[in-house]
Amino acid sequence: MSTGEEQSGDDAGEQAIEPTEAKVAELQSLLGDHVLDTEEHLNAPAIVIRPDAVQAVLSTLKEEAGYDHCSCVTAQQYPDRYESIYHLKKYADPTDEVSVVVPTARDDPTSESGAPVYETASWHEREAYDLVGIDYDDHPDLRRILLPDTWQGHPLREDYDQDRPQIVTLRENANPLLEDHRGSEEEGESDTMFLNIGPHHPATHGVLHLETVLDGEQVLDVDPDIGYLHRCEEQMCQQGTYRHQIMPYPDRWDYISAGLLNEWAYARTAEDLADIEVPEYAQVIRTMGAELCRIASHMLAMGTFALDINGDFTATFMWAIRERERAQSVLEELTGQRLMFNYFRLGGVAWDLPSPREDFFELTRDFLDGLPEATREFHDLLTNNEIMQLRTIDTGVIDPETAKDFGCTGPVARASGIDYDLRRDDPYGYYDELEWDVVTEDGCDNYSRLLVRMREVEQSAKIIDQCIDLLEDWPEDEREIQSNVPRTLKPERDTEIYRAVEGAKGELGIYIRADGTDKPGRFKIRSPCFSNLQSLPAMAEGEYIPDLVAALGSLDIVLGEVDR
Amino acid sequence: MSAGFGPLLAAVTLLQSNGATMLPEWLADVLRLDGLGVAGTAIAALIGAFVIANVLLINAALAGPWAKRKIAAAFWGKLGPNRMGPGGTLIIVADALRMLSKELIVPEGADRPAWDIAPIIVAGSAMLGFAVIPFGKIGGVQVQLADPEIGLVLVFAIASVTSVGLVMGGYASKNKYSMLGSLRAVAQNIAYEIPLIVSAGSVVIFAGTLQLSGIVDAQTETLVSVGGFGIPAWYAFVNPFAFILFLTANLAEVGRNPFDIPEAPTEIVAGYQTEYSSVYFVLIYLGEFLHIFLGGALAAVVFLGGGAGPVLPGPVWLIVKMWAFFLFTQWARQTFPRVRIDQLIEIGWKGLLVLAFANLILTAVLVGFLEGDVEFAFASLQVITA
Repeated sequence: MSTGEEQSGDDAGEQAIEPTEAKVAELQSLLGDHVLDTEEHLNAPAIVIRPDAVQAVLSTLKEEAGYDHCSCVTAQQYPDRYESIYHLKKYADPTDEVSVVVPTARDDPTSESGAPVYETASWHEREAYDLVGIDYDDHPDLRRILLPDTWQGHPLREDYDQDRPQIVTLRENANPLLEDHRGSEEEGESDTMFLNIGPHHPATHGVLHLETVLDGEQVLDVDPDIGYLHRCEEQMCQQGTYRHQIMPYPDRWDYISAGLLNEWAYARTAEDLADIEVPEYAQVIRTMGAELCRIASHMLAMGTFALDINGDFTATFMWAIRERERAQSVLEELTGQRLMFNYFRLGGVAWDLPSPREDFFELTRDFLDGLPEATREFHDLLTNNEIMQLRTIDTGVIDPETAKDFGCTGPVARASGIDYDLRRDDPYGYYDELEWDVVTEDGCDNYSRLLVRMREVEQSAKIIDQCIDLLEDWPEDEREIQSNVPRTLKPERDTEIYRAVEGAKGELGIYIRADGTDKPGRFKIRSPCFSNLQSLPAMAEGEYIPDLVAALGSLDIVLGEVDR
Repeated sequence: MSAGFGPLLAAVTLLQSNGATMLPEWLADVLRLDGLGVAGTAIAALIGAFVIANVLLINAALAGPWAKRKIAAAFWGKLGPNRMGPGGTLIIVADALRMLSKELIVPEGADRPAWDIAPIIVAGSAMLGFAVIPFGKIGGVQVQLADPEIGLVLVFAIASVTSVGLVMGGYASKNKYSMLGSLRAVAQNIAYEIPLIVSAGSVVIFAGTLQLSGIVDAQTETLVSVGGFGIPAWYAFVNPFAFILFLTANLAEVGRNPFDIPEAPTEIVAGYQTEYSSVYFVLIYLGEFLHIFLGGALAAVVFLGGGAGPVLPGPVWLIVKMWAFFLFTQWARQTFPRVRIDQLIEIGWKGLLVLAFANLILTAVLVGFLEGDVEFAFASLQVITA
């Protein structure tokens, strides 16, 4: 909802309200007495329900109203209550949103769990329990998820003492050398082996810990244990001012060169929250930069996936890195940085294309011209390699329904045949003005996820090419890179918004509640990797260890974004 | 089959001595150790072994820290080591110092004697295999330490001892990854040694001997003459199918891509060698490289005419062929994905083994008819129909 709609003026705004009212009425008739109250979030209508009616409401919305995508669960504390918000969407139309608000009492924050309805709510609720301290009844496995099991208190509560250090010693964690036969039916008499994969393991791409139960070489049970890279990103954003202090952080969520895509998530949310326009010229630059980031990110994903399958630093990995370096060089020309760009500003971008502009266009075109040759090489080395096909086809399978239940988005969802891409379905930036296609594959396996990424690189190149053409012909006196944005932004108290963009890994969403100051009252990040990683057990159980590793590689997770 | 092995055994006894002076004998002669009797021969053999071992160590040292990096860099479009010494070769010294100065970490609960012996077995068994490899001739001296009649069987037996080292190391480390790796090593070696030996067996039918020097001598004839150039009767040309089978099984035997699953970094960390550091790691690493060279030397002796080649002396050619095999393993490493453990076993037992036996029997039939030994050919045919 950036420029396009903002510029069309008041009429569009008024028209938009009426369908919302109709939607609320429809939801009320569907849910009947369950609806206590309705609220208006900037992105969607919100319905307030009793804490013991969560499953009833969510399953009605899922089964009858078609809200099959539980994008995110946000928990927060108010002076008088706790609140869990389920942000629901439709895979068929992500602009059709509804927020389900579940207030719980301050002295006994217990709410019914939504996990039996949406698998993905399981991890989100664990996080809410961990950080905010809301208890979820009927949750299959309510443990801490980001912080260590022995942590005292819940850090996002008002009464939590931020200054008291807590040291969790190794001794308090489970001894990895102890006999452990979990997952087997009979204690003591079992042939299974418990194996800790990670947190320091070559295949985990960061500090991920997989608690795995093996029967021989086959995986009986796998439980991802995350939180090793939890850096309190949400809290840091809550302590920064909207205008300038938050923008550098998104670069650090998905730090695999997807910086601009992440920055756009914040830019889009904050611009919609504070009603800021973005000049079209800046939108084109943003679109180009974001797609460059997507290419760089997909290249690394392909390289590391090849690394997981080949098992060593091989030619495929290095060649992928070479292409990524080229993309980064273009980005460096544009932003001055290779990784942590900090290039977007609310209302535009930091500066115009580097001059002389011709040199920049030439550099970018050279990069784009080299891409088809590079993709051909990857097809020769990877996708057409018979051993590769033997290894990846029909392994790590996740069917579309399961993928939706786990809230999978991005290439993972598109490889399972889910035609879902926010760039097209919930357009922002300049995407709806350009010619490009959403790539989907129906294989649902590791191979499809690789193919989707490779084909998306081609689509991104197509987008960049069109952006370059546009920028080249842009009249010199209309090159406005930033709109006029107040020095201090103070959105109205209790305005709430949840907005998402299509990051490299999937739907990257941000929820912000304004509290009337120049800093967010609550800043919640919906990380695509977090939801995608949750589907790993569905893909890997019953497979061999190498396929577990391949499935993990094909998810393309970044622990910085999973743990935040 | 017993009828078929009759002439074969006879041929073996005939080719016991092939005339050339062996390296230890020559050393004993040159150093005038004859007077000491058996002790003199033993001392000469030790000196010979010392020389050959050092040549191999130099090769392994070149291959491990330097050539491997250079080759990989060439595949990646990069430069590789180039700052330390000429062509970066001094990195060998730097690497050796670095490795040796690391702390030797002994895991808690390691099965001590076994854990310590394993790296020695891995490195030692690979080195021992070279005792029977004929390096070729320099001026009438056969550079070979020993030439037993059953050389080929012996060298396979020695190479298999490596598996024992891998299992010992993996099992004694008290690490689950190590154990998985060592179990994989056993499964893989059993599955691939049989096709390896059977495909080499087809060569034995041609050569009529198990003696390695005999196999080399049998390849000296000219197969066909093309425009004055004689293509030698190397078994790689005579029976290319067996050569391909042998190379494939050999890749698995030395545990390289696409069959590097006993180590399988990114799956089971480093397999059986996960817990080894410092000197022990160097020994295992050395063992691996020697094993690759042994595999290369075997391929050269059995299929590529051993030390045969123009102008340069025999040992040089053998080493060149060893390096060619090393290059082949590195090439495979850069391009082939790794197969999964179940696929590996399937390829080994259902694919290679069947092909190797088919090759063996067909070879036996063909050789039988060609040499007019109809009885032998029919015996082989009976095996097929049975």
